[in-house]
Amino acid sequence: MNIDIIPIEAELRQDALLSWLNQPGKRLGLITSNDGGQIVTLLLDTADSAATIWESQMSDCKYSSLTPRITQAHWMERTMWDMFGLEPTHHPRLKHNLLHEPYEEKFYPLRKENDVVARSGHRQYHSLKVKGDGIYEIPVGPIHAGIIEPGHFHFSCVGEIIFNLEIRLGYVHRGIEKKLSEMNWQKQRFLVEAAASDSAAAYALAHAVALESCIDLVVPEKAQHLRSLALEIERVAMHIGDLAGLAADVGFLAISSSLGRLRGASLGLADLVSGNRFLKGFICPGGVIQDPDGNLSKLKAKAKNLQKELEPVVRYFLTNQVVLDRMENIGKVSERLAKDFGLVGVAGRASNQMYDVRHHFSAGVYPLLKPAIVLEKEGDVFCRAKVRANELVDSLAFIDMLLETMPCGSHSTNMPDALRANAVGLGIVEAHRGELIHLVFTDEQGNCKRYAIKDPSVNNWTGLAIAARNNLVSDFPLCNKSFSLSYSGHDL
Amino acid sequence: MLRLLGYLLMNGVATSKDYCPSLGDEAIGLPKLASNNCIGSECSKCSDICPTEAISVLDGGPNANLELDLGKCIGCAMCIRICPEKTFSSNASTETAAVNRKSLVLSTKALDIQAVNDIEGARSPFARSVACRVVSTGCSACDLELSAASNSIFDMERFGIQIVASPRFADVLLVTGPVPKAMHAALKSCYDAMAEPKRVVAVGTCAISGGLHGSGYAEANGISDLLPVDVYIPGCPPHPWSIIDGIRKVMR
Repeated sequence: MNIDIIPIEAELRQDALLSWLNQPGKRLGLITSNDGGQIVTLLLDTADSAATIWESQMSDCKYSSLTPRITQAHWMERTMWDMFGLEPTHHPRLKHNLLHEPYEEKFYPLRKENDVVARSGHRQYHSLKVKGDGIYEIPVGPIHAGIIEPGHFHFSCVGEIIFNLEIRLGYVHRGIEKKLSEMNWQKQRFLVEAAASDSAAAYALAHAVALESCIDLVVPEKAQHLRSLALEIERVAMHIGDLAGLAADVGFLAISSSLGRLRGASLGLADLVSGNRFLKGFICPGGVIQDPDGNLSKLKAKAKNLQKELEPVVRYFLTNQVVLDRMENIGKVSERLAKDFGLVGVAGRASNQMYDVRHHFSAGVYPLLKPAIVLEKEGDVFCRAKVRANELVDSLAFIDMLLETMPCGSHSTNMPDALRANAVGLGIVEAHRGELIHLVFTDEQGNCKRYAIKDPSVNNWTGLAIAARNNLVSDFPLCNKSFSLSYSGHDL
Repeated sequence: MLRLLGYLLMNGVATSKDYCPSLGDEAIGLPKLASNNCIGSECSKCSDICPTEAISVLDGGPNANLELDLGKCIGCAMCIRICPEKTFSSNASTETAAVNRKSLVLSTKALDIQAVNDIEGARSPFARSVACRVVSTGCSACDLELSAASNSIFDMERFGIQIVASPRFADVLLVTGPVPKAMHAALKSCYDAMAEPKRVVAVGTCAISGGLHGSGYAEANGISDLLPVDVYIPGCPPHPWSIIDGIRKVMR
């Protein structure tokens, strides 16, 4: 993909971005920086599968915030403050996002020259204070009751109703972006996969596509088929796991344990392709690491079998009256808010957002073969479950089609030792949660100088906070599960 | 509802009858070392390609002594793929947990995980059942495998292993992930809240050594500097059987 880099003054971005977002099919991809000396704004045109970067040089470390008029920028501006010390003025709720109190006040890990004077109390976190009669607060986390990643939820409630939910993340911030910019590209893929291992195939694919786009490398057709196969297997496994979680949260244990068993079967598919239940180490820049040809007929039979076994379970689940009672009209996100906050993936499509990277930025095999976009209108927990269930059926049919049309030939091609100097690489992938972006900049020697990752959860965490409002506290686990967001992918 | 019952009965019992069966042929698993035909520092392709510096070639020349630290290994299999002398091969065993950090370091001079696995001295106070508290601080792969260990295939509750929702009920603390700085205090307070006697299990390579994440500004170096560790379960992530086997080691 050819990426235009257009210089623009930081203060002019707001109007330009507003008019960009008002055009159909245009999206905001990511706002970040390279080393604190500039603001990089990635814009996506889903109609033309095109990407543009606006680069605004910064002489100062303050700029006026986009958030008052462009709500979806709020999370990224907070992250940029933490990582680069670039402070948005007039941001309505400016607080740190990734680096908590344990870090020093004046520490900006990705800034080249640490010349920023920290605002005092930068690290102190104040949750939004809701005032009024009978309002009480429930703090939960960072350690949760179940087996999930750490994060802090702060509920302000009236009786049993959630009035406001504030989500505080950053507990699994491991400094991955900085590490990636310090290591050679040959070893990056392992760390990229370990950023959020439930999306290991999607992360590895976005990484590979980003590096290949730096040097305009085209991988063999067979590699493209195998990569899509891996990505769809991952989607099947995670969608089954998420439906199982929803079933457990409504107390339908027969369904959740059946789906748990079938998730095991889908991990078996991953094992057949890659030798790893999470598809780790399979996709690499240049292609894939091994040719699983000998296992493909076994894989086809197993995938068919999974499809057959899954159908009745999902049907029993989504037609059960108790399940409908628990899920319908719970955790609603309206179409307008979904658009304003730029929701992606399952959560976006359940609120009628027509966006699936496999269609709109179709790389690899997706221009030729692609599953349908599954849309729902209501934006409640049930719609998100239905989108998952329908995508599951489509992905399994798609896996079958990929195996049917598997080409002959090589499974990888050689990568050069060094990337192109001063290049930009972009990888966009539809992970099982939605749009995943990897953006790479190289320096004069062709080494990676900045590696930026935007997980789908960055867009969708706000969606969960919106969905939880005006719902019962006891329905929060269902809302949470229906979004099924990543903490580690967000925190990196 | 009757149809669902019929479906469940038709599908029969999913639970595995074997304990810790070997991995399937296609699975890669952790590496193991073969008898010593390593050519040493003339080659050192394995230590160059290893993403976590888990491999060290100790002395040069033929029959060099090669060390492989499973506590750092992420099972990427690059060493298996690149070694011209077939010194590395994939280990199909799922009984990979160890009670001693040193015994995770394999060497071509002592091939297997050494037999120091049995806890010496008094019998474990948790011989029949343990209540475990999970603290997740990582990428969720180990968490997913831990959840899988309680599904109907592995069903770890039949071995007396139960996951509980509060450290106050727990005998064993299971830690996944490399424990970045922001989780240090939370992990400590969780451990302090547990009543004695208590044990700590490091689940996965990140928890053992930080894995890929170690030595960065986020201080995600695993739990060994923060808590006393009783059992180490290597892998990225470890297989559900390896996790069950590891937890059973605190029950012996």
